[in-house]
Amino acid sequence: MTSEMQFKKIVGQYCEVAPEDMTNDLRFREDLGFSSLDFMSFLGELEDEFDVELEEEDALKILTVGEALELLARLQEEG
Amino acid sequence: MLIRDIIENSGEKYPEIPAIRWLVKKDIVDRTYRELLDNVKKIRKGLLAKGFAGKHISIIGVSSVEWMESYLGIMTGKNVAVPLDAGLPAEDLIDLINRSDSEGLFLTPKAEKLLEPVLNHCSALKNIWMLQEEGFVVPGEVSALAAEKNVIISDMTDFLEDGKIPADAPDSDRPAPDDIATIIFTSGTTGKSKGVMLTQNNLAANVESVDYESEPGSILLSVLPIHHAFCLVMDWMKGFSLGATICINDSLLHMVKNMGVFKPGVMLMVPLMIETIYKRLAAADPSIPKKVIADNVFGGRLHTIFTGGAHLDPYYIDKFEEYGVEVLEGYGMSECSPVISSNTVKEHKKGSIGKPLCNAEISFDNGEILVKSTSVMAGYYKMPQETEETLKDGWLHTGDKGYMDEDGFLFINGRVKNLIILSNGENISPEEIENKLALGELVGEVIITGENNGLTARIFPDPEVVQAKGYSEEEVKTELQKFLDEYNKAQPTYRQITGLVVRKNPFIKNSTRKIKRQDVLIDEPIEA
Repeated sequence: MTSEMQFKKIVGQYCEVAPEDMTNDLRFREDLGFSSLDFMSFLGELEDEFDVELEEEDALKILTVGEALELLARLQEEG
Repeated sequence: MLIRDIIENSGEKYPEIPAIRWLVKKDIVDRTYRELLDNVKKIRKGLLAKGFAGKHISIIGVSSVEWMESYLGIMTGKNVAVPLDAGLPAEDLIDLINRSDSEGLFLTPKAEKLLEPVLNHCSALKNIWMLQEEGFVVPGEVSALAAEKNVIISDMTDFLEDGKIPADAPDSDRPAPDDIATIIFTSGTTGKSKGVMLTQNNLAANVESVDYESEPGSILLSVLPIHHAFCLVMDWMKGFSLGATICINDSLLHMVKNMGVFKPGVMLMVPLMIETIYKRLAAADPSIPKKVIADNVFGGRLHTIFTGGAHLDPYYIDKFEEYGVEVLEGYGMSECSPVISSNTVKEHKKGSIGKPLCNAEISFDNGEILVKSTSVMAGYYKMPQETEETLKDGWLHTGDKGYMDEDGFLFINGRVKNLIILSNGENISPEEIENKLALGELVGEVIITGENNGLTARIFPDPEVVQAKGYSEEEVKTELQKFLDEYNKAQPTYRQITGLVVRKNPFIKNSTRKIKRQDVLIDEPIEA
């Protein structure tokens, strides 16, 4: 499974949007209906799944699927 | 009884049991009851030596061992601890430090940028201690400002470094049971936040009256904000009274991971946490046995979750039971230290908020729940009018409407303050209707308001359902209207919903995740 598919599978736990419909412009809270705590929990899952460490303050600024994917890619590169 | 008696008692009985457990990077670190008491005593003596007796001292920070030792160091002596929400903007924190007449401040190093505004605007402050064990370096410009303002900034070495507080230094007298121990600011959805004054006995009585027992050394994971009474008294003080090991969740990002790390038996949560965790449980492959999923998510030993602070849909109680976890709902408010009633392991009823604690007497005034209890606050700090409105003839007016069933279980069905009074004289409890409408598949969040002499439902549609069904905006409105029409059919005229506003955004919530009702008419008005 690619990183992006893995990522979208985790997103899918918190909403009912199919991975193929998960476009980068979708906002977690407004479009995907994440509660504030869903979003925190989701970030925690990203850390575990991709073995990265998120700075809470930065991570909480993420609004869209695309921004989260970008941050993830950057952290994996820095790895 | 005093909180000091409770922790000293546990210190004597369980000196080697870890009282607090936390993570430093990936390592687990413990503070035993003996070590905890030693540090608390050093801080208490240190405060006395620095002239802090009968003073108010604020604490700003998230859960940490330093936070808890400082809190206990303050309130087991003759001082008053004022825990504040570290997430508030600087101007609000300054206002609360000033309004609470705090002369000392314990501050998390993460909020270092607060030093300058606090020094500039909190003129009563004499000392600031950073909540870190050692090595805090005061930035040059702040140091100059502190000198100018005559404020001493240091860290916990001021108390804990060897030899700093001589062993024979005088200890503070024990507080009297009626002395104010703490002032907790209510997050209040309307107006100015109020400082709830709780006495030593208020807190100790609440700890003693909550019917829950566990073996010394049992593991409890604390995930709620520590400045809230529910967390402070029930996670921490109650945990200490049982000789429990209280583990600190370093971030809500890591709540589930930390359940795996610490393997708690018991946790306190707000309903939102239960709802979020359930999404993880439900997302697991259905072919995997539920026991395996539960062990994976809960860490393998979780058996009980106590919940409060908001209404929990009983649906989750059933669902969690399938995973071997009992969810027990309770009820309380800061003004009552905080627990008023709770379901217990022995006695519980789904949908209720449990039976009143043994120290609480319940009465009703036009449906409003009134409480008389040894845990009822002394009043709001410097707010005599608000105190008078809330405490009448020794009864605490909770602002919640409810009833007690024939078995003595308490139920909530609305809030007095949100009562909608229609011009025909009918009083409507919006929450009662909201709870019913919330069951609609398409209804994500709903608030009922009284407008144009009728009721309006303001609904934020569930985005998951909208997405799944592929509804357009127009279709969402049509479907919601059909749902309301159906609901109206079964209602008397005065309870029928005559207006519908389909919201584009979720409602604005306060820091405890309650919808800010006063904002619902402003941010998306009826024309929206």
